[in-house]
Amino acid sequence: MAWLHTWAGLVPGWVLYIVFVFGTAAFFQHEIDAWMRPELPVGTQVSPRALAAADTLLLQRGAGAESWRVSLPEARGGSGLTVSWRMAGEGRRGGKEVTLDPQSGRELAVRETRGGFFLYRMHFDLHYMSVSWARYLVSVAALAMLVAILSGVVTHKKIFADFFQIRFGKGQRSWLDAHNATGVLALPFHVMITYTGLVTLLFTLMPWAITANFPTREEFYEATFPRPEKREASGTPAATVPLVRLIDTAQRKWQGAQPGSISIDHPGDAAATAQVYAERTDWSSGRRDPLYLGAAQGNLLPVPLRSKGGARLTQEVMVDLHTAWFAGYPLRWLYFLSGLGGTAMAATGLALWCVKRRTKLPDPARPHFGFRLVERLNIGFIAGAPAGIAVYFLANRLLPTALPDRSEWEVDSLFIAWGAIFAWTLARPAKRAWVESLSAAAVLFALVPLVNAATTSRGLAVSLWHGDWVFAGFELTLAALAAGFAYTAWKVLRHQPKAASARRQRARTEAPA
Amino acid sequence: MIHLTIAVPALIGFALLLMAMARHQQDWLRRKLPLRHSRLLRRCGLGALALAFAAAVLGFGWAYGAVYWFGWLSLTAVLVLTAQTNRERILRLISGKIV
Repeated sequence: MAWLHTWAGLVPGWVLYIVFVFGTAAFFQHEIDAWMRPELPVGTQVSPRALAAADTLLLQRGAGAESWRVSLPEARGGSGLTVSWRMAGEGRRGGKEVTLDPQSGRELAVRETRGGFFLYRMHFDLHYMSVSWARYLVSVAALAMLVAILSGVVTHKKIFADFFQIRFGKGQRSWLDAHNATGVLALPFHVMITYTGLVTLLFTLMPWAITANFPTREEFYEATFPRPEKREASGTPAATVPLVRLIDTAQRKWQGAQPGSISIDHPGDAAATAQVYAERTDWSSGRRDPLYLGAAQGNLLPVPLRSKGGARLTQEVMVDLHTAWFAGYPLRWLYFLSGLGGTAMAATGLALWCVKRRTKLPDPARPHFGFRLVERLNIGFIAGAPAGIAVYFLANRLLPTALPDRSEWEVDSLFIAWGAIFAWTLARPAKRAWVESLSAAAVLFALVPLVNAATTSRGLAVSLWHGDWVFAGFELTLAALAAGFAYTAWKVLRHQPKAASARRQRARTEAPA
Repeated sequence: MIHLTIAVPALIGFALLLMAMARHQQDWLRRKLPLRHSRLLRRCGLGALALAFAAAVLGFGWAYGAVYWFGWLSLTAVLVLTAQTNRERILRLISGKIV
């Protein structure tokens, strides 16, 4: 059954590697947001003054709008107090958005970026392709991953005898040890993240339970997430209550938990409805259902009780385990390090396929097409994708803030850089290609803190001095990654592939051509 | 603090499990321990991991505790593995100090 592990791992291996790289980064998506929006202040506490400023702004500029929306700053950073409104007839993507300083309430000119959210979306929606196809692709890859993990444990029973074993400088043996170590040491994480990842894609993989019981998907969601009766605009104007009061009511209902966002339908009407979502920072009391309030009266609207079946609850817990929104910083770092382990497992597994076959090639100087394909894809993905992410961060600092479609250009820079590295490595001999692409990744990651220091007033020294751990942590992590890539490049450069054993060479010369 | 009460028993646990394996006894002690001792080491190692789990659950509750425990298990196992791969250097350091 070893062949099952080999092929279930190799064929979707590059997709899995991408999912691991971007997914691991996504554990820190709000911190990445904070770094990519350096105009935002460090503090995330909202003052009553800022909320009053939001009220005024909505009344003045959002008068007559179909809906208002207020997002309170994410506790981990990366978003200010965001206020947006949408006029009648404007689509979902239309409308205006303004970011306010959560302390002073003054308007902030924040650069346009998709931030860490893009890295999060990329890890299951990919890019430049339709979301549904991307999810099918990721689903199939994740299924294969589960097969690869389980068959890996079953067929390679020696992994537990070799639990503490890495032998360096032994060619294939070392690669196998490294693949084992990264796979086995964080095995609980790998099994959990793969299985719960499949659970997040549940309705992509198994839509039939819904289609068999509900005419449309919307009706399924209406049945599972009950809301109060839809209130149409009455035509009677009535002032909407201030945000402070809505937040106060919600906090009393939730025993002190903060709201994360508030949306108001038909603001300024007597029948205006506010929907308040809880902020998600702690899991100890589980998930909180949104509250509905009469926005002109400030009273809680009755909501039909939500049926919480065991299946639903299980699914929610699994999705939460996957996204780790409940994790404080110590646990978040453990998730991140385990994710790095998974990334290394995918990378060493892919590399191992080539290492294992190189010594067996009839002519190592001219390998067959399949070998060359895998080798080239390995270089292009393993070194190219992280280098692309570094360029994404660099573009965030270097692109002019007035550039139209700026956030799209940031994303495009990621893929342009990745594509360029891919194309470059195709034109180089394999070993040179590894060394050069890994060095490029190291240089690009090392450049990020330098470029930040040159283009903003929040360089590494300053953020360390002020104890700004989001900025300092981000840049120190990138510096560590740069060191990791440089070390790997140096190792590859110094590596002397051992000549095939005497027995094998004899076998080769004696074999009929 | 609670983190230390999880991490330290987990680290000791993996170190004991390492020493329970004949191959690694050869690495560190240059000799093999009797089977009886190896079995004792293995039991103590597993016991220490269980202790770490108890500490995690008492400190963080069942839900958070279990997740923390798995996270620390992976991290401490990596630490023991790092020590194992650098054992020659460590042994030289220790013997150098004694001499």
